[in-house]
Amino acid sequence: MKLKLDKKNFIPFLQSLMDEYDLFAPVRLADGVSVYKKIDRPNEVDLSLRNTQKPAKEIFFPQSETMFRYEKAEKENRVTSTEEIKRNRVLLGARPCDIQAFALIDQVFAGKDYTDIYYLNKRKATTVIGMSCDHPLSTCFCSSLNGGPFHREGSDLFLTDLGESYLVELLTEKGMAFQKNKFFQKADDKELALAKGIEEKAAAKVKVSVPVDGIEKRLDQMVESPYWDRIQEKCLGCRVCTYLCPTCHCFDIVDEALTKKGRRVRNWDSCLSSLYSQETSGHNPRPTNRERTRQRLMHKFNYFPKNFDRIACVGCGRCILYCPGHFDIRQTIKEIQKGGEG
Amino acid sequence: MEQTQKTIQDKIRQKAKELLSSKKVDLIIGFGEGTLPLRATPIFVRTPEEADRLIWNSFCENNLATYLHKLNQFKVGLVVKGCDARSVIALSHEKRFKPDQLFLIGVPCQRMVDRRKVQKAFEGEILRVSEQGDEITVEGEDFKKTLKREDFLYPSCRVCIHRNPVKADVLVGDPVEESSLVEVHPDVKEFEKMSPEERWRYFEKEASRCIRCYACREACPMCYCAECFVDSSNPKWIEKGLSPSDIDFYHIVRAYHQSGRCSGCGACERACPMEIKLTYLTQRLNQDVKEMFGFETGVDPDAPPPLSTYETEDRQEFIK
Amino acid sequence: MNEIATTNHHHEFIHMKNPYLPIPAVVKNALVETSDRMLRTLELRFLNEEDAQAFSFVPGQFCELSLLGKGEAPFGIASSPTEKGSLKFTINKAGVVTTALHHLEEGTEVGIRGPLGNGYPMDLFKGKNVLVIGGGFAFTTLRSLIAYFLHPENRNKVKDITVVYGARTPGLLLYKEELAEWQKRSDIKLVVTVDQGDKDWKGKVGLVPNVLEEAAPSSENTYAVICGPPVMIKFTFPKLMALRFPNERIYTSLEKRMKCGIGKCGRCNIGHLYVCKDGPVFSYAQLEKLPKDY
Repeated sequence: MKLKLDKKNFIPFLQSLMDEYDLFAPVRLADGVSVYKKIDRPNEVDLSLRNTQKPAKEIFFPQSETMFRYEKAEKENRVTSTEEIKRNRVLLGARPCDIQAFALIDQVFAGKDYTDIYYLNKRKATTVIGMSCDHPLSTCFCSSLNGGPFHREGSDLFLTDLGESYLVELLTEKGMAFQKNKFFQKADDKELALAKGIEEKAAAKVKVSVPVDGIEKRLDQMVESPYWDRIQEKCLGCRVCTYLCPTCHCFDIVDEALTKKGRRVRNWDSCLSSLYSQETSGHNPRPTNRERTRQRLMHKFNYFPKNFDRIACVGCGRCILYCPGHFDIRQTIKEIQKGGEG
Repeated sequence: MEQTQKTIQDKIRQKAKELLSSKKVDLIIGFGEGTLPLRATPIFVRTPEEADRLIWNSFCENNLATYLHKLNQFKVGLVVKGCDARSVIALSHEKRFKPDQLFLIGVPCQRMVDRRKVQKAFEGEILRVSEQGDEITVEGEDFKKTLKREDFLYPSCRVCIHRNPVKADVLVGDPVEESSLVEVHPDVKEFEKMSPEERWRYFEKEASRCIRCYACREACPMCYCAECFVDSSNPKWIEKGLSPSDIDFYHIVRAYHQSGRCSGCGACERACPMEIKLTYLTQRLNQDVKEMFGFETGVDPDAPPPLSTYETEDRQEFIK
Repeated sequence: MNEIATTNHHHEFIHMKNPYLPIPAVVKNALVETSDRMLRTLELRFLNEEDAQAFSFVPGQFCELSLLGKGEAPFGIASSPTEKGSLKFTINKAGVVTTALHHLEEGTEVGIRGPLGNGYPMDLFKGKNVLVIGGGFAFTTLRSLIAYFLHPENRNKVKDITVVYGARTPGLLLYKEELAEWQKRSDIKLVVTVDQGDKDWKGKVGLVPNVLEEAAPSSENTYAVICGPPVMIKFTFPKLMALRFPNERIYTSLEKRMKCGIGKCGRCNIGHLYVCKDGPVFSYAQLEKLPKDY
């Protein structure tokens, strides 16, 4: 079903969402810097940036999350889990690349053996209102990874910016539940044609440029390749790529304790950190940057595909834009496909 | 100016070829063409043929000295700007490498262009950039404009008074004119005008964007501790989450650890994905070190750093 | 489904089971195993009977032991499934959590998450001979394996059981009581050795690889399980090769830094496999194909 939302009604529309749901949308923190946050006031929502710095995965997998609180006592310890979600949620303004990543991370956290209840409770409670990309960046390569600027999979509702209004596509059952929203009107043929034009233009901008076919098999042959010595040279070993990556999902679990009370917390972590696999004995199976960068690249393009049949990358381009060492993963992929030459 | 840039670039390549052919160094760390406009990327060159990948332009923004720590068993030729050379001197005082291990290819710096500021001046994405003397021409899908370089320099570059590498084994260009002495760093001056409450609010607001990615720490040549205080678990100084007091603690302590060591190169700010202002803290502390000890980071290869030396004549009136 | 649990421990459940919540247990007994006091065996029993009933494991599996305020750490289950009523873990004092576990008194509460991991391939061992080689304090899950097969209900599941167990000195041997018991039995060939004896030591003196070579067990129809410090494995492995053990019939239990223990946090991977979920028990045929990430 295709409807439209006049931009004049955008703020009241947001308010109508906030009356029923916890709303999460991009918020500008500074000029050129935005993240997804829980919205307190409708005019906080800022959809003007191409993409946020921190990816939308934060909504389901927060950077720092309490797992349970505890209180120690003489005879009984009290443990209270924080897994419950009290109110349903709406995620507004996520780009198709970030939304594609949800499906990837779902496979890790859903799993047939154990269920990550913190992640799943949030996923189930959230309606995803995706936002198409009318002006993809030159660093976007979503189309090379089964995505695209108008890729609709994973969105319950899908918005396209038409200038004076948004085209609103209701794509799933969850999405159809919104058809009665009083700010949605019928979209006319002119608007549909305009949307189609924008979609075609955007698709043409992101051509399939990064050759990922067969990269898993390539990497099978390259485990001990001298390529890893070279590729790690300019990597600083910080965590920018990991924390801004929509598909990275590693975390650390720590206890934060006062004397009797405390909580068990999970925080994002990165395999690029030197202490990531450091064992208490002092042994570190990944002692240098070489092993760590190899781990990250192999995980995305070889290990994850072996387990889940998909490459753990959605082509959002954040790592290219923000790496302080100016690492470009598109170049890395091309070099790997040539067996490490170039 | 463009002539000078190309001349510098040619000289860097020539010198690199010389050093590699004569095996005076095992590798050269310099800059190569980035895959994005407005970017140069650190490259590691090991053969004379590869030396032709070395470039020089207004986007050579990294402080390459940070890579030395991983390579201290090799003889390294390092391309340094004025600020980078000061970091190298500071590191040599801290005995981070042997005296004859480095060959510094010093570049009198034309000052680097703030790529974020350039991009922010335009609605559309910048796709191509070229430099002509004092001007930069940027092109996007539907625009083309020429800008004055001077208007888009990095804040740390605008106030730099040590553009010529203080100690280099070779200088690949004619020394540039240094700016007239800037008594107090402008950012520090602005900060000092604020009341303590305003200062704290400013600092807190900037730091609140922090995502604990440690790009600032890794980009900085002076941060090389085997175990950083944030990673210590016994004792555990701070937690690893996003608690504002932990974030504030990290930034304050890291700034303190830079006192008299920071060269003001700005690599930390350039690395930060959340565009947090950082150099005003270290520059303020450097100001204090200058006033109290008459010492400035890395400008005198023979001056020992005051915070790690002891003289019987040291001031002690502040010890109560 | 909202469940409020019994008197001693308060949990709040929401529909699906939360695999990160520790199950409450209490320290039944604790004893220091070694002369250097670095190894201590904790015997834990579940606080709630239904948790005890629901807990069913195979030798080779492990648990995450949880101390509120300190954290968690993974430990192989040293007791056998045949030893009912409690679980035994042998803790090496090394870091924050293990030091805290060393100071626990009887009656203190500890959290357990488990059983985790894949355990030894008990089905493959059926009808075969089993050769167990252990070194130092890596012997924990091997104790579980041996005790299981020595139980009257299970003894005829496998044929010959040969065990070579070595420690640096007699004081550093684990489970001295069990070893003494097993020495007396005729249905197990047990060789205990030390690198360096002391004035009271009357047993064998020699490095595990050499003792193995001397014992020369047949590799025909035999599965080998080897757990020990890297240096021991490095020198014992060629002896197994010389005895013609193929990689598919040599198993080991790996250790790696872990956090969630259930294959979510990403930390313990070796290639595409997770030590916590696809291991910790691997055959050398499997390990051959994986990066040397351990």
